[in-house]
Amino acid sequence: MARTPSVSRQLVFAVAVPLVLSFALTVFVLNRIFSESAWQALRERLDQEVISLVSAAELTDSGRFDVRMADSESRLSRPRSGQYAAVRNARGRVLWSSPSIEGVAVDFGAPVTTGRSYFTRARLADGTELAILNRGLEWDYAPGNTANLVFSVAEDLTEQNARLQQFRNQLVAWFAALALLLLAVLGGLLRRVLRPVHRLEQEIAEVDSGQRAQLGGGFPRELAGVARSLNALLRSERARIARYRDTLGNLAHSLKTPLAVMRAALSGGAPQRETLDHEIDRIAQIVDHQLQRAATSGGVTLGQQTVPIAPVVADLRVALLKVHSAKDLSIDAEIAPEAGFSGDVGDITELLGNLIDNACKWCRGVVRVQARLDATRPLAQRLVIHVEDDGPGIAPEDRNRVLGRGVRADERASGHGLGLAMVADTVALYGGELHVGESPTLHGACLEVALPGRALAASVLTSAG
Amino acid sequence: MRILVVEDEAALRESLKHDLTAAGHAVDAAADGEEGLYAGLEYPIDVAIIDLGLPKMSGLELIRRLRSAGKSFGVLVLTARDRWQDKVEGLSAGADDYVAKPFHFPEVQARLAALLRRASGWTTPLLQCGPVVLDTRAQTVTVHGAAVELTSFEYRLLEHLMLHAGEVISKTELTEKLYEQDFERDSNVIEVLIARLRRKLDPDDEIKPIETLRGRGYRITLARTAAGE
Repeated sequence: MARTPSVSRQLVFAVAVPLVLSFALTVFVLNRIFSESAWQALRERLDQEVISLVSAAELTDSGRFDVRMADSESRLSRPRSGQYAAVRNARGRVLWSSPSIEGVAVDFGAPVTTGRSYFTRARLADGTELAILNRGLEWDYAPGNTANLVFSVAEDLTEQNARLQQFRNQLVAWFAALALLLLAVLGGLLRRVLRPVHRLEQEIAEVDSGQRAQLGGGFPRELAGVARSLNALLRSERARIARYRDTLGNLAHSLKTPLAVMRAALSGGAPQRETLDHEIDRIAQIVDHQLQRAATSGGVTLGQQTVPIAPVVADLRVALLKVHSAKDLSIDAEIAPEAGFSGDVGDITELLGNLIDNACKWCRGVVRVQARLDATRPLAQRLVIHVEDDGPGIAPEDRNRVLGRGVRADERASGHGLGLAMVADTVALYGGELHVGESPTLHGACLEVALPGRALAASVLTSAG
Repeated sequence: MRILVVEDEAALRESLKHDLTAAGHAVDAAADGEEGLYAGLEYPIDVAIIDLGLPKMSGLELIRRLRSAGKSFGVLVLTARDRWQDKVEGLSAGADDYVAKPFHFPEVQARLAALLRRASGWTTPLLQCGPVVLDTRAQTVTVHGAAVELTSFEYRLLEHLMLHAGEVISKTELTEKLYEQDFERDSNVIEVLIARLRRKLDPDDEIKPIETLRGRGYRITLARTAAGE
C-alpha cells in the first residue's frame, strides 16, 4: 500500500506552489511592461530630436549644408554628452555631425531609404550601448530642389539600463518579501486549522498506549463523527470483553455443582445412570445458556451492514419445515423486500429461528411471519416483525414467565424454554421492544419484535431480484 | 439399513457404531471428511450421520459433494454448534435434520427412522412438470410462474409424485413418505391432501395434473421436462 502524504504537507504545497508561480509571473509581466514603456518613450524623444534637426537644417551662403544649433547648452552641443546626431546623404557621406560626436566613433548604421525610419540598438567599441534612430527624409534646400538625406540621432542607453535594472531589483525584492509574508501567515493559519487533527492523532496514540480511556470532545464537525464512532467502538469492545469474562466466570462456577454431583455419584460405588444423565443434561443446559449470551454481538450497530430479512426467513423456513417434518405445517412469509436489520446476521438468525421454531412447536398447522419497516417508529425499533401461529396461544398470566430465563410455559414442549428468553435478551441488547399477545386472525400466539432496521440499498435489492 | 457414520471423535464414533449395530443396522464408520466421501460414494448407504467439525474436509463440504454427486440418502447432522445460523447452513447444504451434542441415543434413532422414510431426491434443484415448477431448495412451488402456498405434507406429496412423474404411486407409499409411525396413518388423509393439492394447483380445472387410478394409486399426468433457469 503506497504511503499517503501528510495532509499538512499537501496543504502547504497546494498553497505555496500557485502563490510563488503567480508572483513570479506578475514580476515578469510588470518588468516587461515597464521596459516596453521606457523604450517607447525613448523612441518618441529621439523622433522629436530628428524633427528639430530637420527644422534647423539650412544651406549656408556658401552653399554648404549646416544645422543651426540655437541652443548651445543642448546635449548635442556638448562633447561626449551621450546624445549624438548626424545628417548623411543617400550614399552615406556625412554632411553634418553634432559637436557631441567629437572624439566618439559612432556608427549610425546603413543609410535608410527615404520615407522609412529605423530604430535599433548598437554597441560602441568601448562597450557602451546606444539607441539609434535613422530617418530617411526629402529635404528641400531650394524651391523645387530636394535632396534625399538621412537624419540620425543616437542616445547612450547606460542610464536607462541602470534605471530599468533598479526597477527590476525593487520589483523582485518587494514581491519576494510579500510572498514570504503570505506564506508565513498561511503557515500559521494552517497550523491553527489543523490543530484538532493533530490533537486527534495524539489522543488516539494515548488510547493505544493505555494512557487514555476515551477520546475527548470539542472536535470540529468533520472530526466529531470520527471521534464519536471511535468512542462507541471502544465502549462496546470493553463491554464485550467484560461480558466474555463474566460468562466464563459464570460458566466455571455453575459447572462445578453438577460436576461435584457426578463425582459423588461415581465415588459412591455403582453410579446411577439417571443421576449421571440428569447432571449431563444440566451441564449441557448451562453451557448452552452461557454461550448463547457470549455469542450475541452485544447490540453493536456501528459498522454493521444491513442484513436482508427475506433470505434469512426463507432459509429458516426450509430448515424448520425439515426439523418439524412430523407435522403438516405451512409457514407463510410476508417479508417487505427492502426490510433490513441493522445488526449482526447471527443474532437476527438466532432470534427469528427461536421465534419461528417456537411457533412451529405450538401451532396446529399454520405459522405466519411478517416483517416490514415502520418509518413512524424511531431507528432502534424501525424493523417490525410479527410471528403468529394458530396454536393454543400464551395465556396472559404466563406471558412474563415465558420470557424469563430457563422457565418453560408448558413442560410438555420439547426443548429447554431458553429460546424465548434468548429472544428477550437480544431485543434488550439492541434497544428494541418485544410484545407477547394474541393473533387476531390465527387466534394463537402473536409475538411482535421491534429492532433497529434500515431499508436495503437499491443496488442490493435489484441484484437479489 | 446401511448407515454411514462420519465422526472424528473416536469414543463417540465407536459408541454410535456399537449402538446402531445392536439395533440391527449395518454400519460404515469414517473418521474424516475424505473417508466419509469415499464411503458415501462407493457403498449403498441408506442414511448418514455426519459431524460438522471434521478434519481433511468439513462436514458441510462433504454434504455438498455428496449431493452434487447425486446421492439422495438422508443426512442427519451431528454437531456441538447449534445456533440457528449453523443449522440453516447445514440444512441448506443438503442435510435433512439436525441433532445437537450432547444427544440421547434414542433421539438419534428416532430421527434416523424418520429420515429413512422421507429421504428426498434433493439432487435436482428444480423439478418441472408442465407449468408446475417445484424448487426443492427453497421448498416453494409455482404454477405458470405464480407462487402457490402449500403445507409441508402437500409439498412432500407433490415432490414425490413429480420425482416419479408418469409412475403410479400407491397410497401406502405416499403415507410412508409423510408419517413416521404406522399408527398415525389415516387412509383418508392422502385423499384429502390430493384434493387440496388439486384445488391449489389447478383452481380452474384446466391442467388436471394428478390422475387417480382406482385401487392402484396416483400419478402425475404431465411429462417431466428439463427445468429452465
